[in-house]
Order: sequence, then C-alpha cells, then structure tokens
Amino acid sequence: MIWVVRLVVLLPALAGLAGLLARRTPLVARGVAVGSAVVVVALAVALFVAPMDTADIDSVGALPLGNLSAPLHLLSDQLSGVVALVVSLVVLTIQVFTVWYLRDDPRYTQFAATVSLFAAGMLLVVASADLALTLVGWEVMGWCSWLLIGHDSERFAARRAAYKAFLVTCVADIAMVVGFIALSVRARSTDLLDVLTVHPSAGTDALLTLGLVCVVIGVAGKSGLVPFHDWLPDAMEGPTPASALIHAATMVAAGTYVIARLFPLYAFDDAARTVLAVLAAVTMVYTALLAFAQTDLKRLLAYSTLSQVAIMLGALAAAPADVGPVPAVSHLVGHAFFKALLFLGAGWLAALVGATALDALRGRARDRRALRRAMAIGLASLAGVPPLIGFFTKDTAIDAAVEGATGGGGLRAWIVVVALFATTALTAAYCTRAWLLLDTPCPTPASTSSAANDSFEVEHGGTRARSLTTSAFDDGMPLTPLAVGEPGVLTTHGEHKPITLTASLSVFALAALTLFGTLLLLGLDGAVHVGVVSATVSLLFVAAGAFAAWSMSERGLRDAAERLPTRLRADAVIGFGADTAYARVGSGVTALARLVVVLDRDVVDAYPRATAVTARQLGRIGVRLHRAVPASALLGVVVGIVVVAVLGVTVWQ
Amino acid sequence: MATSLMTLLLLVPLLAALALLTLPSTSGGERVIALGGSLVTAVLAVVVVSGSYQVDRSWVRSLGIRWHFAVDGLSAALVLLAALLTVAVIVHALAGPTPAGGSRSTYLGAVLLVETGALATFLARDAVLFFIAFEVVLVPMWVLIRRFGDDHVSDERRSDAAGRFILFTVFGSTLMLIGILLLIWNQGTSDLDTLARLHGDGLTRPLQITIAAVLLTGLAIKVPIWPLHTWLPSAHTIAPTAGSVLLAGVLLKMGTYGIVRLAVPALPEGVAALSPVLAILGVVGIIWGGLACLVERDLKRLVAYSSVAHMGFVVLAIASGSDAGLQAALFGNVAHGVVSALLFFVVGDLKEQWGSADLSVARAALRDKTPRLGVALVFGFAAALGLPGLVSFWGEFLALYAAWSPAPGRPVALLRTCVVVGAMGIALAAAYSLRVLRIVWAGEGSEDAQGEVAKAVPDSTGPRWGVVVTLLVAVVGLGVVPHLLLRISELDVVAVLGGGGR
Repeated sequence: MIWVVRLVVLLPALAGLAGLLARRTPLVARGVAVGSAVVVVALAVALFVAPMDTADIDSVGALPLGNLSAPLHLLSDQLSGVVALVVSLVVLTIQVFTVWYLRDDPRYTQFAATVSLFAAGMLLVVASADLALTLVGWEVMGWCSWLLIGHDSERFAARRAAYKAFLVTCVADIAMVVGFIALSVRARSTDLLDVLTVHPSAGTDALLTLGLVCVVIGVAGKSGLVPFHDWLPDAMEGPTPASALIHAATMVAAGTYVIARLFPLYAFDDAARTVLAVLAAVTMVYTALLAFAQTDLKRLLAYSTLSQVAIMLGALAAAPADVGPVPAVSHLVGHAFFKALLFLGAGWLAALVGATALDALRGRARDRRALRRAMAIGLASLAGVPPLIGFFTKDTAIDAAVEGATGGGGLRAWIVVVALFATTALTAAYCTRAWLLLDTPCPTPASTSSAANDSFEVEHGGTRARSLTTSAFDDGMPLTPLAVGEPGVLTTHGEHKPITLTASLSVFALAALTLFGTLLLLGLDGAVHVGVVSATVSLLFVAAGAFAAWSMSERGLRDAAERLPTRLRADAVIGFGADTAYARVGSGVTALARLVVVLDRDVVDAYPRATAVTARQLGRIGVRLHRAVPASALLGVVVGIVVVAVLGVTVWQ
Repeated sequence: MATSLMTLLLLVPLLAALALLTLPSTSGGERVIALGGSLVTAVLAVVVVSGSYQVDRSWVRSLGIRWHFAVDGLSAALVLLAALLTVAVIVHALAGPTPAGGSRSTYLGAVLLVETGALATFLARDAVLFFIAFEVVLVPMWVLIRRFGDDHVSDERRSDAAGRFILFTVFGSTLMLIGILLLIWNQGTSDLDTLARLHGDGLTRPLQITIAAVLLTGLAIKVPIWPLHTWLPSAHTIAPTAGSVLLAGVLLKMGTYGIVRLAVPALPEGVAALSPVLAILGVVGIIWGGLACLVERDLKRLVAYSSVAHMGFVVLAIASGSDAGLQAALFGNVAHGVVSALLFFVVGDLKEQWGSADLSVARAALRDKTPRLGVALVFGFAAALGLPGLVSFWGEFLALYAAWSPAPGRPVALLRTCVVVGAMGIALAAAYSLRVLRIVWAGEGSEDAQGEVAKAVPDSTGPRWGVVVTLLVAVVGLGVVPHLLLRISELDVVAVLGGGGR
C-alpha cells in the first residue's frame, strides 16, 4: 500500500516526463497520458477504499539538515483518499476530452504532458505530510498553469494571461513561503504532524498567527480571493480542458485542501480565521455579482469558480472546531465534478459554435440533446438544486457555517453565513440567466456559424475592447485589445468536427458523477450533513434568485443582464478595472527597476570609474613630468647620480 | 598513492594547459590533449572526493607554509562541479567554432588553467596556498575575456570588461591577502585546519571584527555582494560561452567558499558581528539584481544580474550562522553553479546564432522551431526563479528558513525582515524569468521580425545538446533528490561552526 501512495504522485510526474520525450509521436503521447490517468484512478480508488491512516510514508528520504527536521513524508487518510480520487477522476476525463479537443493541435503532446505534471503537483499536495512537499506541489501547479494558459502562445492575450496568472499567484506565494517557514520554525520541523502538534503557547502566539495569516494570503493568491482574483477570468485564454483542470479539482481548490490540513491550527487562531472569513465573504458575493454580468460563457464560469471556492474557504473560516474541515472539502468534491462538467460542456459547445460569447451561443444548446442535458445538470448543480451533488455539498458548508455562527463563532461566522445566503441567491440567478440564454432560441434569426464567429470577433474587438496600458506586464510591447476565448484554436479546427464517442462519454461520466457523486461522499465522515432549517432557507434563496433572473429576462426572451445599467455592466465585464490596478503596480515596479539600473550605472559604478580616471590622470601627470628637454633631463640624471653616490658613501659608513 | 593522486589532480590540468599554450597551433593535437586532460581530471576528482585523499608536505619551510591539499564536505561538491563543468565547457568548445581572437589551443589552455586554479582553491588547506590558487585563475580568465570576448563589440569594450574584471578581483584578493596575513600574524599559523580548531581563540573581539571586515570585503568582490558587483555584468556579457560558464559556475563560488572556509571558522565572533551587514547587503543584492533584470535588454547581462540576486540568498544564508544556513549556502552555491552554467550554455548558443543577445530585437520564437534550446531555456529559467522540484529551490527555501531562525545572538528581527524582503525577490525572479521566456520562447513581438532574424535558429545538436541534457538532468535530479548534496556537507558544517576539524 505504501507504494500506492508513492505511485499516485510519481506516476503522473513520470507520464509528464514521458510525454515530453514523446513529442513527435502523438499516438504514444495519447496512450501515455490517458493510460497513466487510468492507472492513477485505479490507485486512487485503492486509497479511497482502504486509507492507510498514516503520515509516515517516506518519499525521497529525510533531508539531512542538522537542527531542522524535514522528513518529507507522505500521508494517506480518508480526506486525502477522497480528494485524490476526485482529482484523478477529473484528470482522466480531461485527458480523454483533450484527445478530441486538441486532436489537430501540433502542441497536443506538450499539453497532455503538462496536464499530467499538473496532476502530479496536485496529488503531491494531497498526499503531502510535509510543508516543504506541499510547497513543491503548489508551485509545480503554478508553473504548469503558466504553460497551460499560455498554450496558444502565438496570441498576445494568451501570453499576457499566462504571465499575469503566474505573477499574481507568485506575489501571493511570497506570503505562503514566509508562512510555511514561520510554521516550521515553530516546530523546528516541516513535518505536518510536528507542525500541528506544537500547541499554541498560552496567550497570544504571534508566530503562529503570522504564519497562518501568511498562509491565508498565499491561498488567496491561487484560490483567487479578492484582491488577487483577477488572474482567473483572464486564465480563460487557455484551452478549455486547461480551464477545467485549473478550476475544477486542482490549483484553485488546492488552497482549500491546504487550509483544511492545517485546520487544527486555524481552529485555535481567531485572527487568522477572521482574515479568511472577510476575504472569503467579500469574494463570494462580489464575484457572484460579476458572474451575473459577464458576456462570455467561460468568463462567467470563471467568476462562478471564484465564488464557489470562496464558499469552501468561508466554511473553513466559520466551521466550529468539532465540525472540522470536512464540509469545505466536501464542497471541493462537489464543485470539482460539476465545474469540470460545465467547462467540458462549454468547450464542446464552443467547438460546435466556434465562439464562447454568450450572444453567439444563444439558443445553441437547444437542439443538441445530450449536451443540453449535461449543461442543465451542471448549471442546476451549481445553483444548488436537489438532489444534485452541488445542493448537498453547498448546504453542508452552509450548515457548518451556521453551526459556527450559533455556536460562538461570533461576528466572523455571521459574516460568512450572510455572505453564503446572498451568494446562494446570486448563484441561482446567474445560473438561470446562463441557462435561459443557452436554451432559448434567439428572437432574431440565428446567424450562420461563420457569422457567429465574426460577431464574436467584433464583439471582442469592438464594444468590449479593453485597451489597457500594461507597460509593466507587457514591457513596452504593442498594445492589443484583450480578447477572450480561444479563437485560434476554435477557428483552426472548431467547426464541423463531430465529437468522438469517448470524449462525449467523458462529459457524461462527469454528469453521472454530478448526479450520484453524493454517494461517494458518504464514505467521508461528516461530508454530507444538511441542516433542515438552513437547507430550507437556502432553497428559498435559490428559488428567489432563479425567479428574479427569470422575470428580469422576460421569460427568457432577453438577456437578464441587459437590465443592469449599461455603464455598470460594462465595468463589471472588465472586473471593475482590477486589471488596470495590477498593471499599475507592475508599472510602479518597472519604474523602480529603471531607477535601479540608472543608480547601478551612475552611482554604484561611479566609484570604480572615478578610481580608474584618477589613476589614469596621475599616470598622465607622471608621464608629463618625465618628458623634458635633454639638457634638463641630463641635469636631473647627474643630480640623481650624485645623490645616490652621497647616500652610498654615508650609508657605507 | 593517495597523496600522489591529489597532486596528480592538480598537475594533470596544469600540464595539459601548459602543453596547449606552448603547442604550435597547427599541430591539431589540442583536441586530444584538452579533452583527455579534462576527462582524466574529472575521473581523478571523483576518485579523490570519494576516497577523501589528502596531501600534506612541508613546502616553504622558512615561512611554515605547507603543501596541504585535502577534500572534505565543504569542498567536495565544488571540486566535482569545477571538474565536471570543465569537461562540459571543453566538449562544448570543441563542438563549435572557436571565438575569434586567438588559436583554439590558447582558448582551451586558458580554460584548463582556470580549472587548475579553481581546484587548487577548493582543495587548499593553507591560507597562503589558498591565496595563490585564488590568483592563478585571474590571468587565464582575463585572456578569455580580453582576447576571446564577443567580437561584435568594439575592442574598447572588451578591454574595459576584462580590465574591470582583473582590477576588481585583484583589489579584492589584495584585501584578502591583508586579511590572511593579519590572521597568520596573530595566530601564528597559516594552516586552515589549525585556524579552524582555534576558532578565534586568542583574538580580541575588535581584532576579529577588523580581520573579518577586511577578509569579507575582499571575498565579497568575488561573490559578488552588492555594491561590489559592477564588474560582473560586463564581464559576463563580453566573455565567450566558456568564460561565462566558468565565471558563473566556478569562479563566483570561490568567493562564498572562501567566506565559509576562511572567515567563518577562523573568526566566528567577527563574522557574527558583521552578519547584519552581510544579511542586508545580501538582501539588497537580491532585490537589486531582480529589479535590474526586469528592464535589462541584454540576455547575458540579465543572467549576470540574476547571479547577483542568487548569490544574495547564499550570503543571507551565511549571515544566519546556523548549520542549516551553512548547508543552505553550500547547496545554493552548487545549485547556482549548475543553473547558471546551463543558462550560459543555452544563452551563449543563442547569442552565437543571433549575433547579439539583445532582447528588444524581434526574433523568431524558439518554442516550435527550436524546441531543444527552447526546452532548455524554459528549464533554466524555471530553475532561476526557484521553482520547487528544481535544484535552486532548496537553496533558497533553506536560506530563508535559516535566516528566520538564526544562530543565537544574531539580530532576529532584522534577519526576519530580510527574509520577507528576500521572499519578494522570488517574485521578482518569477517576473524576469517569465519576461525572458515570453519574449524568447513564446515569441512576444516575433510578428515584427523581418529578414534574417525571422528565421528559426538552428537547434542544438550533437555534443552540445549532450552537455545541455546532462545539466538538465542535474537540475532536475538534484531538485528531486537534494540529499545527494546535503549529505556531503552535513557533518563538516557542524564542524565549521563548532570549531575543530573532523
């Protein structure tokens, strides 16, 4: 069994390496990518069925480091078993889907290899019992996200989005590194058990609070909490399978898992949990509002991810100590299934239509029965309609938060509870809006496929043009309006290629998991725990939100978001200028960098140069002194000889 | 047998270098001599390191200077690094055109002479011997920069870069010599083991601080520590690939190694007193180098500035004074050696093809057309930004950990501030690494490329690709299994800090 844990991490990593070596033979690359994913699922099932309940599995051996113990252990328990299984299932469906989605892409092998490596990073985070290993997995995911988002690196927008995603998360990771170091210094060890068992000293434990707050900030980066949230919508520049991977079960959700692992420490630290609660509450409501206003299906889903991940983190911030982190992880699982389903469905639809803009997609799901059902299940689950998995997991999270609030969690928990209910209504509203748009045929005659594609381009180049001054990000490169989606991929091989059976099966598998995945969660203690009162209230909110959206859309005839003030909506679509703010920070740093270069040249280097100039001047003076007319030079020589002779004689005596 | 092997390790590259330098350039035997010499040296290095051989003979009896070379945990990894990198450099040099400016045998001879000096520096156990070995590398390196430097720039710039290099480092080693002489004068011995065993006994605190300040300033120029780094970018930019690789991979290591070998064990109190200064300068270097990289236009200069930033982490680790810190410093040293060697090989190849390394010139992207160099560049810069799973991560992470929990008596608050600032340097490293990859690998602005530069660069092949692959394996391998390096230095680090040799 020990080897199963090791292999779950090792195998995807090796598959990534093999994929890199097999870059010229797509067939082999496909086999490696899908085959390894299948094996990993099998291994994960074994871990799920029979968790070992140990955190002492050697990985590469302890680091010999004197006064710091770094055993680099792996663990296996119920929690890791469930999450590993979910991750491996989602990765498998994505790999299968990618075979179809990128079938003509010359960079398919690199893409598949990166997905494997990405999975290895996430599974390392899941199986890690050591902060150092967690950090390794964490950053490997970040790096892979850079590669995946920038997959179509011909396009400026993709390059920029990849750069932005990595930089924003990396800035937050400054805090993550400091936090992990602070926690390990407390325990003199990076081992998770050691870190958890150093109990808070009496009174305030400043080092602990600092460490935990720093970890929250680090998590905020990858999980997209305000103010780090804006990288995620832009990350939609990656091919849809990459978006599904990043959003569903890996990078974005990884923060939840890390905090869940450290939960025993958070339970004792109100300060860190309050920070988390405020960030999560603000994020879940704010991004749900933004999701409602989006004009692009993928961006809508991206904002919904931000909101849903904030729900998980909110549950962690509000849950009482005895309930623990399980409700949050439970929602992680539910979200993984329905979000992967939604993304793959959206990718399928976009490939058929050739666009991801909601205007172009209007009514396009209607005459494709299988896809229509898949999207309906996904959106309903996101909205929290029973008996889909989204309902159970979200209400488990709400129940935990309510328990926290009524059980002495104070203001911190109440903030989360209020935000959770508000988010529930908003989520139902934007899901209803999206469904009505996808399902209701356009009142005006539907344009042809190519025309839709054009309008898609016009849409992005015209009304939503975002001419950003991004000197820092772009380093003086020509400015281009930021388009969303993957026109490159879509136009090359988007249309008229029917989906393969296996790829559609992967979507249906996710739909089935969304329907019946709750059964999977029954294996985890406390993962499904729906309070009657809170569930009833939240269902009322769902109904209210859905009804509001429905009535705003005039029974589906219009886009509900059109009812928003135009100006507000335009601002919401571009995220209220968060991108500009990032760019400003970037240009600030660049300005500082230019100053440094000037200082380096004109101040730091001035002293050596001055020394050189002085030496040269002295040399010139010396040379000038030696240049004389023969007569006076001769005189000098004679005087010299006399002096030497006199000296010689006197010294001789 | 054991002692003669140690002497052979130093004699083989020396004799090969002398043979190459005196050989008529038309004889054609330089290929065999250079490759054979470096390979034999590498094998000897492995043997000597694995057997912990040493040689200890009386040399200059009147001054008490001994011919004392030995290998231990502090130097083992560096000896191997120097010997193996030289093989890589020679293989790389033989597989391509020799830079204009002189015959190939002179070029290779200079490389081997640098190796001799570097090996002797890492192995020397006598302070005066250390100084002499330290000086041996200067002239051949000057030859590499001055005569074989980038011929696309004016002669004046080459002479400026080479002159800067020699004057800065000679000034540094003069200071170091003064420090060594002060140390010998006061302790009565030049034997480094004895000096370490004395552990500063018999030196008053002010005296320790004075000697440490002189020694550290001298060595800081070689590292280089901010603000004494301005010789490095120009030297790297002008130097041919072999010069850049040896400079970054071997020569810079001599500075930090000198601090750990000379200053830390012999002057514990002095170094401890100066550690706040070291930490601050190290962190300023991290930020300074990172920021300079954000706007630097010349790729080789950029890698040079990133070296300043990386050595900043090593200096920060030394300043912590704990054994984890010293481990981190030694690890970071080797890690930077491997990573910067990889980067300079790749960037050197690109510059050879491009004719310049100016990032603002629009060129064809590497990603699809030149995949091998592209992948190597991606791995190189991933390592440069300290990506976990690659070799430099452990050095940086441990350096930050060590500085957060320094040895007793060091200023904790200051060092912790330094940790936070240093961690920001990691984000800066990400920014500049991705900036380079975005331009060179992904092809930012490549649409504007026209004419010759729009054509894809021929990819790396044959022995040169072999060299790059070997370094890639080292970057990944040591990143996944850092124990290999950490175990080597584990015991001796404790000895250095605790006083007394093994």
